[in-house]
Order: sequence, then structure tokens, then C-alpha cells
Amino acid sequence: MLTGAFRERLRSAFTEVKENLGRSTLQALGVMLGVASVLGGFSISDSQRRRADEMFVKMGGMDKLNVQPRALAAEGQPSALQQANLGLRELDAEEGSEASKGAVKGVSVQRNARARVRSEHTEQERMVTGVAADFIPTNGYEIASGRGFSSEELRAGAPVAVLGTEVLSVFFPNGDAVGKSILVGDVPVTVIGTFKERVFFFRKQPGQRNQFRRQNRILAVPAALVARRMQGDAYRRMDRVTFRVPDLNAMEVFAKDLGAVLKANHRQQDDFRLDDVAARVRRNRSQGDVYNIIFMLSGVLSLLGGGLVNVNIQMASLKERVREVGVKMAIGASGREVFKEFMTEALVLTLLGSTVGLVLGVGFSKFITWFLGIPLYMQPGSFLWATALASMFGFVFALFPAWKASRLSPMEALRYE
Amino acid sequence: MFPVIQTLGLTKTYGSKDAAVHALRGIDLVVEPGEFVALIGPSGSGKSTLMAILGCLDSPTSGTYALDGHEVQGLAGAELAAIRNEKIGFVFQSYNLLPKASIVRNVELPMLYAGVGGRERRERAMALLEKVGIADKAKMLPANLSGGQKQRVAIARALANNPKMLLADEPTGALDSRTGAEVLQLFRELHASGNTVLLVTHDPSIAAQAQRRVEIRDGLVATTVEGAA
Repeated sequence: MLTGAFRERLRSAFTEVKENLGRSTLQALGVMLGVASVLGGFSISDSQRRRADEMFVKMGGMDKLNVQPRALAAEGQPSALQQANLGLRELDAEEGSEASKGAVKGVSVQRNARARVRSEHTEQERMVTGVAADFIPTNGYEIASGRGFSSEELRAGAPVAVLGTEVLSVFFPNGDAVGKSILVGDVPVTVIGTFKERVFFFRKQPGQRNQFRRQNRILAVPAALVARRMQGDAYRRMDRVTFRVPDLNAMEVFAKDLGAVLKANHRQQDDFRLDDVAARVRRNRSQGDVYNIIFMLSGVLSLLGGGLVNVNIQMASLKERVREVGVKMAIGASGREVFKEFMTEALVLTLLGSTVGLVLGVGFSKFITWFLGIPLYMQPGSFLWATALASMFGFVFALFPAWKASRLSPMEALRYE
Repeated sequence: MFPVIQTLGLTKTYGSKDAAVHALRGIDLVVEPGEFVALIGPSGSGKSTLMAILGCLDSPTSGTYALDGHEVQGLAGAELAAIRNEKIGFVFQSYNLLPKASIVRNVELPMLYAGVGGRERRERAMALLEKVGIADKAKMLPANLSGGQKQRVAIARALANNPKMLLADEPTGALDSRTGAEVLQLFRELHASGNTVLLVTHDPSIAAQAQRRVEIRDGLVATTVEGAA
């Protein structure tokens, strides 16, 4: 019975909308633009974040925690205690990987050096990356030709190297490097393999630079080789230790445990820096949240504007509709019925407006992401938010005109000129 | 059977005490089922006020009004709306059709408020349009019809819920004399087929078509004349 009456009202609201197309379009315009702006804003910001996440994953995953040495004395002489510290060592990597039981699934160690590198073709000053443990998989590198380092080579500091594509093209322009020799500093090193080229364009647009071009400049040798024969010291200090913790929930506990272990190893000095990639991603995300809030705000504002315009139009058209309401009341519509009619009409307009708005929003996001050159990523939540906000505003702003209309006296409404 | 209309000492006062306007000063009126009554009076006589009260569009200041045996003074807006819907069929001087709605939808509207189902509504609306002779215009908008045709639509709409009475307020006021005569003829036919008709007019020649004429003057029933003039 009730649903039947509602269906009737819905049907006549549709008829009413059709009969007054111009006015109805104006009324729905605010909802349309509001929905489009909320959905578009959310989707564009989601797409951008999604792209950033993709980049982090391609860089070797978000599940990493980097430890790097940090100078304690910003100026002047470091204290005796500070100076006595031995920096980041292999010991830190070993003890660190046992800090939270089972959390660490991989450790990578780096010891860098600058050296003159000579091949039969070229001679250049280059950065040499001394690697150890799981460096290659942890940092997202893959072997293209030849092989990677064996654990024996890493332990012993064997004079072997794996080259990134940029290094390969500079030192071996004909592409054939595996088995050849290069001179790093004054150490002759045999090339045993090459890395796959790493490519990531944040935006697919001409003129964009490869985000991973630095990664292709790698010249990897065992860290032990760097420490012993290039830029070593007695304590085998490290430039960077990376722990891989696949369980992101365990990351926080691990970071704390690791901090404690390192501090104990470093005579209670904070001469190291923990850099949690996931935390960085989270920071990026929360920046994205700010954008979402801005987009939501602009959507809400346009809905608010649209709502006010809607009330305005409704109040203006109410004057035109006073006689109509009077007639309806004379032939038997109660004030409540008139109220329901107005609200149903608002509901229909809101629904139609949101539908058009969603389509507009999708088109809008498609255009902007195409323009930015990033893939479009839309979440169901954005659709829900946009529709929910629009419905809320549609409802709230329909109340006043509907109430006003329902309170008309049939007598006065009929005589209204 | 109850009288369709039975009022006792109906008064209507507008404004506050100092500047009170007494539009009605005590109207006693009885209309039996099947009667054709003309309410006549010059403008300012109070006949429009009386018609609004009889049509349940307005409430009296004092006195009682029983419509079809039920007292309606003091009822709430929603109840009055239901009574207007079921028991009264209005015909106005200016037709008061919904301009953007088709003819047939205009006729359907009272049935919509009465909760009549879609198919039955359409069938009855078409039958009524047939009865008043403009079924072929059902899909048109009111603006495309002549005045006489619009008034026929209004009459069809007034008949939609089989009301106890037709309340016509100067129904020929906006029509030329020939179409006016045709519309009056339609009212006479409706009366002949058993409908109760209450016609409000200031024109004695139109009132003369009624069975009984009640003249209102200064808010009181001045004279009642029985029989066609």
C-alpha cells in the first residue's frame, strides 16, 4: 500500500520533471557538478597515489627499512665518544636481522666508493656499489645476462662485477661484456653479468624522464672487495643496510627493536638513521589525504552552491507553482501529500543529477589522467561518497521549499495571481 | 438520506476585533441530494466566502456545517483535504487545470490522491472525457484547448471521484455566451442524471437555470426562490 503510493508519487514526479524540463535541469545542475567534482577529485588523487605506490613496488617493494650512518656532530669536533664509534658495520646487519624473530626476510648491505673505471673503450670516474647479502632481489634488480654474485664471492670479496645497462653501454658500446675485464681503481675486475634495464615513467608522456635512470648506472661489486681494496677501513664500515620485512604490521615493532640493537652496538649514540619506506609511502598517502579533503571540500562547496541555487529556483518556481499547489489541494491533496510530492521530485532530480554527475565525473577523471599520462584508478568508495553527499544535500535543500509549499492555504493559493 | 449541505448559523469574520470584517453573519442553508441550487449575490455579498467554506477550503468562525451528514467545522487540514477529494467536485471560473499536464492526467489527478490504481484511473478518466465530449483531446495540453473545452475538462475532473456535489464558481464567467450556454446545458444534464449541483454566480440569467436560487446579501441569506425562473 505504502510502497504502491510511493511508486505512484515517483511516477508522477518523473512526469513532473518531464513536464518542467528547463526548471528541473537547473535544479539538478548543482547536484551534477558536485558529484562530478567529488568523484573526479577523488579519482584523480587516487590515480596519482596508485601510480606512486606502483613506483615504490617497482623500486623493490615498500617492505623495506633502510639504515644509514648519520654524522652526530653538526659542526666542530665530534666528541671522543662519538669518534670512538665504529659506524655501521656488518655486525649491525647480522644482529639487526635477528632483532624481531622471523620478521626479517632479507638483508642487503652496501658499501660505496668512487673510483676511476677503465675498460678497453673508455675511462670514467664512477660510483662503485659494493653489495652484500640479498642486495639484488631486495632492491628490485634482475640479471639480464651472465650471473649474479655467489655467496662465496660476496664473502671473499672476489674481483667480479655486475653492470647496469647505462654502465654497459658506456664501457662496452658493442654490448658484449660478460667475461671481459675492467679496471676499478687499480683493481682488475671480471664482469660476470649485467642487470636488466629498469624503466619507470611516472607519466606516459613524451619528454618524461625515466624515474629509474639512476638505477641503471649501477656498477656492482662485492662489498668486501670495496672494503678491502678500494675504500675500506679496519672496521668494515657500511654505507647502508636494508632489511626486508614483508609483514608491514611487524615493521613498527621491528624498527623499535632494531633501534635498540643498533644503539647498544653504537655506545648509545644515535649515529644512524632508520628510513622506513612504508612510512614514507604512508607520509605520501597522508599528503594524498590532504588532497582528498580539498577535493571533498570543493565538491561540498559546489553542492552547497548548487543546493542554494536549487532552493532559489524552487522558491521562485514555488510562486509559479502556488496556483498549481492550490489546485492540487482543492482536488484533494493534503499538505503532507504536497510535501511528499515536492520531496519525491527532489529525490528524482537528485538521482538523475547524480547519475549524470557520475558520468561527468568519470569523463572528467579520464580526461585529466589522460592529460597527466597516468593510468586511471577509481575506487567504489569514491562513487559512494559522491552519491551520498549529493543525496544528503539534495534532501536537505529540498526540505525548505517543500515545507513552504505544504503550508500554503488552499484558499489563498487558489486566488494567488 | 442526509442533506448534502446543512449549515446552521455559519459566520466568518476576517481581521482583528477593531477592524473586523463580517463576511458571513449567520447562514442557514440546506441542500438536499439531487438539487440544483444557485447561490447568487453581488460582489462583496459574502457568496465567495460561503462557497469557500462549503467547499472545505476555509473554516467558519462559528456555526456548524454538516456535509453529507458529517460535521466538518474544526477538522484538520488533512481531513478537509480528504473530504474535498471524495465529496466535492470543484469547477472554477478560470478552469484551474495544471498547465503542463495532459488533459487525461488532469482528470486522473483526484483519483491519484484517492489512491485509485493506475489502470482504473486511466479508464475512468477516459470515460469521463467521453461523457463531456472531448475524449479525442486526452493527450493534449490545456493550452491547446478552447475555453469551453477547458471547462469540460474541469467538469470531468470534478466528477472523477463521484462527489456528493459539484461546486461551480462562476463556471461560465470566462466564456462567451454560446459556449457558456453549452456548459450550463452540461450542468443541467449532470443534474438530470442525479448529481447535486451548487452553482455560484452573480448573473441572474444564469441563476435562472437552477432549480432553486438562494440570494446572499450582506452575509445573510436574503431570499430563496423555488422553481425554474
